[in-house]
Amino acid sequence: MELGLYLHLPYCISKCPYCDFNSYQLKEDNQITSYIYALYQEITAYSQKLKKGNIKTIYLGGGTPTVLSGVQICNILEFCNDKFKVDKDAEVTIEANPGTLDGEKIKLLIESGINRLSLGAQSFSNLFLKKLGRIHNTQEIINSYYLAREAGFNNINMDIMFALPDQTTEDLQTTLKKAVSLKPDHLSLYNLTIKPGTEYYKEYKQGKLKLPTEDEEFDMYNWAINYLEENGFEHYEIANFARPHKRSKHNLIYWQNKPYLGIGAGAYSFIRGYRYMNYNEPARYIKEVMSGKLPIDNGEKLSLRKRMIETIILGLRTKDGINYKKYKTRFKVDINNIFHEQIKKLVNLRLLQKDDGKIKLTRKGIFLADTVFREFVD
Amino acid sequence: MLKDYHYNIENIRNFSIIAHIDHGKSTIADRLLEFTGTISERDKREQILDNMDLEREKGITIKSKAVRLHYRSKDEKEYILNLIDTPGHVDFSYEVSRSLAACEGALLIVDASQGVQAQTLANINLAIKNNLKIIPIINKIDLTTANPDRVAKELQNISEIKGEEIILASAKEGIGTSDILEAIVNKIPTPKGSSKLPLRALIFDSIYNPYKGTIVYVKVVDGIIKPGMFIQTMSNDIKYEVTEIGIFHPKMKPIKELNAGEVGYIIAGFKNIKDTHVGDTIIDASNPPRESLPGYKKVTPLVFCSIYPVDNKEYENLKTALDKLKLNDSSLFSEAETSEALGFGFRCGFLGLLHMEIIQERLEREYDINLIATTPSVMYQVTKKNGETIKISNPASFPPRNEIIKIEEPYVKVNIITPSKCIGGIMDLVQERRGSFKNMEYIDEKILRLDYHLPLNEIILDFYDKLKSISSGYASLDYELIEYQPSELAKVDILVNHQLVDALSFVIHKDKAYTRARKIVEKLKGIIPRQMYEVPLQAAIEGTIIARETIKALKKDVTAKCYGGDITRKRKLLEKQKAGKKRMKKFGKVEIPQEAFLGILKI
Repeated sequence: MELGLYLHLPYCISKCPYCDFNSYQLKEDNQITSYIYALYQEITAYSQKLKKGNIKTIYLGGGTPTVLSGVQICNILEFCNDKFKVDKDAEVTIEANPGTLDGEKIKLLIESGINRLSLGAQSFSNLFLKKLGRIHNTQEIINSYYLAREAGFNNINMDIMFALPDQTTEDLQTTLKKAVSLKPDHLSLYNLTIKPGTEYYKEYKQGKLKLPTEDEEFDMYNWAINYLEENGFEHYEIANFARPHKRSKHNLIYWQNKPYLGIGAGAYSFIRGYRYMNYNEPARYIKEVMSGKLPIDNGEKLSLRKRMIETIILGLRTKDGINYKKYKTRFKVDINNIFHEQIKKLVNLRLLQKDDGKIKLTRKGIFLADTVFREFVD
Repeated sequence: MLKDYHYNIENIRNFSIIAHIDHGKSTIADRLLEFTGTISERDKREQILDNMDLEREKGITIKSKAVRLHYRSKDEKEYILNLIDTPGHVDFSYEVSRSLAACEGALLIVDASQGVQAQTLANINLAIKNNLKIIPIINKIDLTTANPDRVAKELQNISEIKGEEIILASAKEGIGTSDILEAIVNKIPTPKGSSKLPLRALIFDSIYNPYKGTIVYVKVVDGIIKPGMFIQTMSNDIKYEVTEIGIFHPKMKPIKELNAGEVGYIIAGFKNIKDTHVGDTIIDASNPPRESLPGYKKVTPLVFCSIYPVDNKEYENLKTALDKLKLNDSSLFSEAETSEALGFGFRCGFLGLLHMEIIQERLEREYDINLIATTPSVMYQVTKKNGETIKISNPASFPPRNEIIKIEEPYVKVNIITPSKCIGGIMDLVQERRGSFKNMEYIDEKILRLDYHLPLNEIILDFYDKLKSISSGYASLDYELIEYQPSELAKVDILVNHQLVDALSFVIHKDKAYTRARKIVEKLKGIIPRQMYEVPLQAAIEGTIIARETIKALKKDVTAKCYGGDITRKRKLLEKQKAGKKRMKKFGKVEIPQEAFLGILKI
């Protein structure tokens, strides 16, 4: 079985006010030590269960994985290679925040086998970085980026956020122009969403956040797509842009609804039709693992119908869309039979297009993707 | 105690407690019940007479009841006291008046810090109309804000009440209870009737009980009523055999007979609560009296709205629930109707806004039905060119303008009691609501009483809330229907995507139509979600557009992130959103959320 491997490292130097990820402010270093020990336990447990597992990609996400020392990161990856069968040319990504990188650490990352770096740049405006609660400034992004290049990283992504409070289309343009001028290999462009439980949510409810209107968000996203395509990026997924051959292989596994194993607190796995998640809270996660159990909090066995639907709503996120033949090979049914009504309606609304043995979102459909997906879910 | 009882009309006292909301009526009743041993400390609940949860929460009493108390006075005489509880809100004023008609006296409760309120005055007038002996009581004298001297002066200013009659009490602290009981036996007159005359019993309430059928509360004015007798009401020829009679002490207790002056209940196989109208007279079918008791009138609903289930599948449940509520509420009116926009539902009539609110709340809470209620309306009287006069409570069924000669709308006499400093704001409000000034009187130097005539239509929505906010909660209001008057009214239709949404139509004075139409389309623009295409919202009178807004087409509906951990959440969120859309009322191609119908109420 081919698998993507996700490792979750939930610690951050500080929690950003918009963030609803499973992340925690790091209070003392020995938290990390016991957490890593638990990761080893969980990896060991799965290595026995998934003897035939063949790891195609590894992704270290967070939190901020780079709050760990270079040596700790090396050790974790070495342990994975020990316990799992990892492809020689596997894509190995680490998320990093510019404020947590130095030359020494970057060298160790390369030595540990990491070949793709995802920088949480978010903005090239110091004002917005501050508002977002980021610990870094613009100059640090640029410094980290060049350090990584010099150390030999030839696959670098930058995360950029838009639709920020008080942000105008011009502000986003300035940020994207700076980002593109650095010539990264990949850009992820996320619009800010206000999630319950965050600081931003509180302020939003109190009417303190002036968010861009739907029309302004449209303008920003529209401009960004045009600009990035003009500058040699392929818009291959709703929020992702890549230079040729630089698509994220790990993330493509998610969008193709293929199996992946998630290790660590709050990590999700999708194996043999089960999708399940680990306990979010690190202490609980550690306790479960240390008592010899798999730290699974909850999960579900997806029915054939649910898998068919998810495959569509994930696949339609990508430029490649859904290939009829592949779909039929996988589910033994014709997508045009099962979802005939939906497809017909969406094609009429010019949200979906059929071409070359596949369906995909139209340009308009990209902007209204959730409207499209809602047609397919039950 | 009951066993030793021997009927003697001289020892009977029938009384009610009348008070403005929250002035302490129920607590006073509790103290009287405890003091006379009718209930023990042990089995009492906070407010014994309120037995519906909703009543407790709203702090008001919806349905009246009668409780018999035994009292040994200070001069060692045994008395039977019948406490007849009355509803505490203006909507139920007819029921109040019938309960009062069963009494010879009334305890008038006034809050020692809030003083005289509009309803206090209305209550005094009602008591005088029914020839009741008023026992004035200033309650809550234990409060730090209490000012009994001021309140006593107010009472003397607005009525014939004398200072020395007033009893100071604190029901909470149990102060004054024995003074009240002594005043009841010494000051309230004995009932006037005679057991020797033909039976005449006044119906002052009735309830439906699934086990016992309709239970009718009566005061026997003349004659005697016993099980086995055949009775009928003055307004109906159907005869019923009395199967049980009894009293409340405070629970139901069957007894052998009810004599002149006594209060109790009758069960006589009445099929329907509608056969036992409040205010009607029960008579002996074989020995009818010459005259019925005075004051009977049929109650008519004043306020109307349509009620629809959000989910059409719940129509049958809604029907059953309304039928059940009607069993116990003869003033609730409902008939089936259909709306293009909302499907199958009911046009309902209520005594007033509070009554409407209570019914809606009970349907949602007790019967668990999700409702859409349309803007409340009044009953209009439309004279058509063909000479026909029709009554219309639903704006959607208004005939076209060119068929109408005149439209009349109901007017009410409104009585407001307010701190005098708020008069400016109240004048503006009444002016804006097409009111005309009738009278003004100072109750004392700081408190005013104002009389106005207003179209009922102008007060059913938010007049009371506005009055409360202008006066920081101090002003109070009481109203009664007076007459129909011709008015320049217009029916405004709302069109969504060029289609008329019948349930959003409303009737309004033509001078105000434009402003309100503007506000409504603006509000709807904020409530109806963007659709795949542009949706025009229009307000029109007789096809002429008077206001317009456009809901722009949906432009961006996409969330950025979707990775391993997001997939389940994302799918569930999409499913939830889709279910939410299904709950919206689809009108033409446009989905209109429930809030649209509620939202325009709050403009």
